[in-house]
Amino acid sequence: MKRLAILAAVAFATAISVLPAWAAGTGMIFVSTEKGNEVVVLDQDHNIVKRIETSRRPRDMHFNADKSLLYVACGDDDVIDVIDVATLEVVDHIPTGPSPEVFAFSPDEKQILVSNEEDSRLEVIDMESRLSVQDIPTGAEPEGVIVSKDGKTAYVTSEVADMVHVVDTATGAVTKNILVGTRPRRFILTPDGSELWVSCELSSEIYIIDTATNEIKGDSLIFVPPGFREEDVTPVGLAITKDGSKVLLSLGRANHVAIIDAKSHDVLQYVLVGKRAWSVDLSSDETKAYVANGLSDDITIIDMASMKPEISIPIGRVPHSVVIDD
Amino acid sequence: MIKHLVFAVLALGLWSGAALAEGPVTIGYLGLQDDPRYHPDIVYTRIEIAPGGNPVDGATMGIDDLKVVSDAVGQTVSLDHQEAADATSLTAKVQAMVTAGEHFIILDLPADLVEQVATATKDLPVTLINATAPEDRLRSLCLPNLLHTAASDRMNADAMVQYLRTRNWTKVLMLVGPLERDKAMADAFRASADRQRLNVVDTRTFTLATDPANRESNNSQLITGNADYDVVYVADNQGEFSRYLPYDTQLPRLVIGSTGLAASEWQWSWDRDGSTQVTVRFEELTKGRRMTGQDWATWIAAKSIVTAYAKARSDDYAKIAEYIRSSRLRMDGSKGVQLNFRPWDGQMRMPIVLATHNAVIAEAPLDGFLHETNTLDTLGTDEPEQQCL
Repeated sequence: MKRLAILAAVAFATAISVLPAWAAGTGMIFVSTEKGNEVVVLDQDHNIVKRIETSRRPRDMHFNADKSLLYVACGDDDVIDVIDVATLEVVDHIPTGPSPEVFAFSPDEKQILVSNEEDSRLEVIDMESRLSVQDIPTGAEPEGVIVSKDGKTAYVTSEVADMVHVVDTATGAVTKNILVGTRPRRFILTPDGSELWVSCELSSEIYIIDTATNEIKGDSLIFVPPGFREEDVTPVGLAITKDGSKVLLSLGRANHVAIIDAKSHDVLQYVLVGKRAWSVDLSSDETKAYVANGLSDDITIIDMASMKPEISIPIGRVPHSVVIDD
Repeated sequence: MIKHLVFAVLALGLWSGAALAEGPVTIGYLGLQDDPRYHPDIVYTRIEIAPGGNPVDGATMGIDDLKVVSDAVGQTVSLDHQEAADATSLTAKVQAMVTAGEHFIILDLPADLVEQVATATKDLPVTLINATAPEDRLRSLCLPNLLHTAASDRMNADAMVQYLRTRNWTKVLMLVGPLERDKAMADAFRASADRQRLNVVDTRTFTLATDPANRESNNSQLITGNADYDVVYVADNQGEFSRYLPYDTQLPRLVIGSTGLAASEWQWSWDRDGSTQVTVRFEELTKGRRMTGQDWATWIAAKSIVTAYAKARSDDYAKIAEYIRSSRLRMDGSKGVQLNFRPWDGQMRMPIVLATHNAVIAEAPLDGFLHETNTLDTLGTDEPEQQCL
């Protein structure tokens, strides 16, 4: 079996080098599994190509800009693993503070900003020296991290303090605390950078923050699929299309993803996915969306044209994040 | 790795113009001197079989967890931990706390003292939060000044009964100890079993002895003999009888209740909903103590009070008291759902964990138990059943 997988990977790698149409990426799907301690790699036909063994409890993942490297925050070993996308091997580890969960790069990729869940800090790591250059105290259990396009501002949630901290990246100072709903989790910034959306897992709400003023804009949004109650909805994962027209929001225990009109905030479709829908990501051409289902150990692929689930694929123990190399 | 720490100053002035409640806030915490509930269990060889620990640690952590919130609204929250030995002096402590400006007091007391203290202080401008007494009787007192973050006996019983119903283990042999606590626990279980149409095949009282004349009530095998059952439910708050019951029943059946599978607000091995971080923080604070249901209940009580102070946007006690009782309070107890207090009996609604000594087997409400407004209200006394004593 293992040899077959390696053969498939080799064949795949060969295919990439001869097919120029794939030059933009391999089309491979990477899924981190919190309890499997691996990143599972699937090809475009959804065959599992490789299970890359990582440090313990891999969670959030991001590519570098040219997608040659994949960074994986591993919460139980206090490192960010670095995977070479060409060879599908872990090639490096970046040490972090205790229990790294979610991270973001500075726009120039010179720094990683990572939330360290267990010591309540947003840590800024210099990529070259690997040194922690800033260590910014946050409320307990910091999670979502996002950096503005100009790199001047970082936003981090504290799940326990129900807050979004606004951080001046030049000084490392928290310039504002914005109180939002209960257990704020993840962010998206609209492509024009004007709005910051925050998912609040336990109050079932989405808050929109005006980034010009860092004030909450309008009422919080609540998305409840038919047949569910508000308290069944525990929103976490967010993704937005490049034109800023549609937002995808995973609804956690409500086992659905909401596809939302980003301007009117109307729900275009509730898509049934697996149990505890968590992180969500879009392919670059935005024809597909990928959802990690933490409690059914699978991912669901959504066809964006029809807004229907296409297939669910078994992955491994507790899928956390999905990213696509395309 | 060398860390260059940059100490950031968290900016104040969150709600400019609206933050009226700035300044010091003191939360009261009232315990019983030398509370026997927290003695380490000691067998005659002086080996501790359960480490002792005072749930005040939970309240301390709750305040610390939300420090960043308090800071942001300009409040400095501290805990005033007091203890006394009897109802009279405990009541005097409450009165002194209120005089000193403390309007929320966490009670870490056995049920009879909760009842006496809460009744004696019901006209004072104070909200008492019962964090460690599970007796349903306290929820029926209908005292407007009393809230509860301890799960009631009935909530624990309903959780267990939902599980038995789901597994179709419907024939239950009940064993009940001599303590009032044991009887309260057993009464709640019986009421719950009746509601879900379980078959309580027999209820027997055990005693702690080896006296041959009373073998029928002190010998594990005899007391579990001459009956047909799927599980043995044991109500034993002392723990010395139930400790020896599993593997020693007449029929090869599971033991639940005070040992085996037990219902509680919290168990350290729960690893979803951010609970791991809470357990780890607690262990760090207490130098290795594992968080119990009582620790969780004082923790969520303190968090609820701090949240109400920060979010009520008022320094008027009446407004803060109203906020903490309202559905606007949406607490995160790291159990995956939002929590608040039931208006009819002041009980915090919450999921219940069913756990062995090292694993959570199920979390109630179990799938399929539905409710017309909130599935959490399938656990405990529901509004239509509520009767005030």
